[in-house]
Amino acid sequence: MLIRLISGCTVAVAIWVALFLQVAPADTTFAASQPTISSATGTVTGKISPRNANYSIDVRLDTEQRKLEGREVLTWRNNSTLTTSELKFHLYYNAWKNTKSTWMRARLRRRGQQFHDRPAADWGWIDVTAVRLLGEGTVSPIDLTDEVTYIAPDDGNPDDETVLLVPLPQPISPGNTIRVELEWTSRVPRTFARTGAISDYFFIAQWFPKIGVLENTGWNCHQFHAATEFFSDYGVYDVRITIPTGWVVGATGVVRDIAENTDGTTTHHYYQEDVHDFAWTTSPDFLDRRDRFEYPSLPDVEIRLLLQPEHADQADRHFAATKNTLRYYGEWFGAYPYDHITVVDPAWQSRTGGMEYPTFFTAGSRWLAPINVGSPEEVTIHEAGHQFWYGVVGNNEFEDAWLDEGLNTFATARVMEASFAPHYRSTRFFGGFIPWVFPGINWSREIDGNRLTGYRRNARMDSQATPTYRYWPGSASSISYNKTALWLHTLERYLGWAVLRQGMASFYDQWKFGHPSPDDFFRTLNEESGQDLSWFFDQVYGTANIFDYGLQELTSRPNSGRGFFHDDGESRFTHDVGGSGYETKVVVRRYGEGIFPIEVVTTFEDGHEEREQWNGETRWTAFTYQHEARATQALVDPKRILLLDVNYTNNSRTLAPKADAAATKWSVRWLIWLQDLLLTYGFFI
Amino acid sequence: MADLVAGSATHLWVLHLIHAFFDGLRRVWRAPTLMVGVYLITLIVAAPLTLTLHDAIASHLGESVSAEEMVTGVHWDWWEEFRAQSDELGSTFIPSVIGFAAVLSNLASIFDAVPLPSALVAVIVLYLAFWSFLIGGILDRLARQRRVTNAAFFSACGTYFFRFCRLAGMAGFVYWAIFSVLHGWLFEDLYEAVTRNLTVERTTFLIRLTLYGVFGGVLALANLVFDYAKIRAVVEDRHSMIGALLGALRFVRRHPKATFGLYLLNGMLVVLVLVGYALTAPLTEINTPSIWTPLLIGQAYVVARLFTKLTFYASQTAYFQSQLAHAGYVAAPRPVWPESPAAEAITNSTL
Repeated sequence: MLIRLISGCTVAVAIWVALFLQVAPADTTFAASQPTISSATGTVTGKISPRNANYSIDVRLDTEQRKLEGREVLTWRNNSTLTTSELKFHLYYNAWKNTKSTWMRARLRRRGQQFHDRPAADWGWIDVTAVRLLGEGTVSPIDLTDEVTYIAPDDGNPDDETVLLVPLPQPISPGNTIRVELEWTSRVPRTFARTGAISDYFFIAQWFPKIGVLENTGWNCHQFHAATEFFSDYGVYDVRITIPTGWVVGATGVVRDIAENTDGTTTHHYYQEDVHDFAWTTSPDFLDRRDRFEYPSLPDVEIRLLLQPEHADQADRHFAATKNTLRYYGEWFGAYPYDHITVVDPAWQSRTGGMEYPTFFTAGSRWLAPINVGSPEEVTIHEAGHQFWYGVVGNNEFEDAWLDEGLNTFATARVMEASFAPHYRSTRFFGGFIPWVFPGINWSREIDGNRLTGYRRNARMDSQATPTYRYWPGSASSISYNKTALWLHTLERYLGWAVLRQGMASFYDQWKFGHPSPDDFFRTLNEESGQDLSWFFDQVYGTANIFDYGLQELTSRPNSGRGFFHDDGESRFTHDVGGSGYETKVVVRRYGEGIFPIEVVTTFEDGHEEREQWNGETRWTAFTYQHEARATQALVDPKRILLLDVNYTNNSRTLAPKADAAATKWSVRWLIWLQDLLLTYGFFI
Repeated sequence: MADLVAGSATHLWVLHLIHAFFDGLRRVWRAPTLMVGVYLITLIVAAPLTLTLHDAIASHLGESVSAEEMVTGVHWDWWEEFRAQSDELGSTFIPSVIGFAAVLSNLASIFDAVPLPSALVAVIVLYLAFWSFLIGGILDRLARQRRVTNAAFFSACGTYFFRFCRLAGMAGFVYWAIFSVLHGWLFEDLYEAVTRNLTVERTTFLIRLTLYGVFGGVLALANLVFDYAKIRAVVEDRHSMIGALLGALRFVRRHPKATFGLYLLNGMLVVLVLVGYALTAPLTEINTPSIWTPLLIGQAYVVARLFTKLTFYASQTAYFQSQLAHAGYVAAPRPVWPESPAAEAITNSTL
């Protein structure tokens, strides 16, 4: 009933009332004019990361000029088996320096001229002003500033400045550690890639020179691409952020101390161990809310929520979604290893929502957010879930984004189903401001959670094995998110949840604070399931093939025959050899290239069922049954195990079809809509 | 005494518009054939595309068991599959067509100037063409306030059709300017400039609502003037549509309170109908296999909307006629062509 009230015709009245009641800042009693020190520690117990990329950073934000001035000392240990004579750093902010960068070129290829009318103030960049190799004790630093160059290892784009090469005066052997000091200034852009500022809301991510990953095969330091995210080593971050006094700060880690300066600024000292990135946000407008996750079999987690004032009434929804994620992911895969998490509700139009950083993420909601609709819950669960898949298990998102995005999309849908059902589909009208709920159309884990529709549209666009940064930008998310969620869900139904869960939990445990590859995941699932699933992974990961099984033919006719039959030892022509019962023929066809073992079920009028297991390898197969009763229907994959099947309507046939009744029912509704459309446009006569 | 006279004059327009409104209701109520006619036109124009969609749905479902679930409820997997594999028309079959969402969806398509699929545009143009033809007869009937024969009705339709085509050309230009120039300026340039740096959604929405108000107001003003242009063309048998349009502008300028007030009163009647539909539309729940409940409620809503549309014309005609210094209807009498001598002889022989 409440849904109807919110989404019904009274919504206009409700909006106006609410507008006038809430135009003044909402509940500000919790606004944190005085930041509090977290009771969490920023330390990790249990298995810890290699900690080979440790940063000590001082940064000052000029909110008027939107400028960052920073200095970092990187303590880096060569964890590979190679000796290196150079360092490579990511300078992500330079992706938004001009339209010639690789990131911009890909984005423009996908969406046209969308950035050409952006004013100068919207663009961002980072300028490294000093690079010094620090010596031990009294040894003087070696200035490398003049030695650095920009490189473009992925596409050779001479205009791309997102990777900085720093030649070293002497090579670094495996196991050795060096300390490098960098100074930089940067301009915070109007948001690109969920990083930037609008008005007095700043979301600062990918903001400091970050070292690439030296693997046993060499440096893995890709340019910034539009369709990919990030990859870096774990370490300890010790960061001091100086911002105007009175502004609220949220960041990766926990605040250790806060010091007011004499120039009207305040320095917030954040600290976090065993993470591979650090992001932060600041605004004077945040409401600062706290809650605590407590669950018997899992460690407690302090939850901090930085909320927009106009969403003050949605705090509980954000907390509930975060707690459910910590609970279910913890139970299914393994405990969250940190004792705190910060949720940021991003400012309207900031376009920074739905993004994950270690111990810190952005959700996203709307002012009018009806209950029993999956927002803000779904995005909150997804980004909280990234703390596990991305944060703790740190795969290479440049090359294998599906490994965290796909696993996480699959798990997000599972949590949604477990904790927030039923909820419904909705849409928005009038510029997207007015929500409307369809209580008769339930949110579906398969269709909505696993995003089957998007996959169906883009199924053939790229093979998952293609490095993510080479995916077609327009369909990259369908391949990374949707396809993985669908094939994992297929595996869940094929192997059983217990087996798949055990496999994912084992993978989580083995690769905690590590950099797994796709093969590591496949190997773990093979081991835990006790099966060689290569035939499946080779198809879903190694190809862009689609799966499409269908029921080509179903006939069920009375037994009869005509021709020459033996009768008393003599062959005689008979017009009609009658017999009892019916002969039922079922022809099943594989329309797609993908192969998957499927079940075929034929049901008869007397309730009898015939079940067949078909390996699905040939292009077609047929089954014939002699039974007393007539068949009523036949279904291919009746339990919908193969969720990757892009055409499920052709998976069944009934001898009493109801297509006409269904079409009549729905075309009547469409008729009324069309008549209303005519009347609406009839206004002009 | 002077105050009393002034007060009476001040409030006279209120009495006039209220009288015109109820007079309009009465005129429409007493023209049931007109109602049936415009309803049938609305149904007939919508029917071919509806049948096309019906066939597309039936064909896609084929002999699949998915149809059973679509009869008793919603098979969301099928629906998404159908949309993904459908043409332009099939892609309009979305949840927004259900119940009152359809009304919001269509209103939003006007206010947000959402482009429509070409098949729908063609049907809308056809519908507007029908109305352009019929409107002369409709206004003639509503102004005369008495039954007319079919011949007289369609004669009036034909008499005014080409005049209204010329008027429609002018109206089309004005509406084109409103949608392409004003809408673009309001919702792209101005809205973007004013809201670009806002970080509070409700403030942004308040601004958008205000712009909707401005846009809707301009649309209503144009609609009001063109309504009176049509009314003057019929009631005063005007041949020049430019003259009718200028006459309408003069009339609205001379009676701004009454004309706008009457328009608002009619608008409130539309809102009343929408509220009624919003309250009854949930009865068209998708989980019922019956087609009759949604069909009856939906068609009752369509009839009510058409009633309000005719009431707009009727009440505005009544108000215009009430303000005339001469007889309420000055259109030329319907021309009666002389019979041929042979026909006359046959007629006389049967008497």
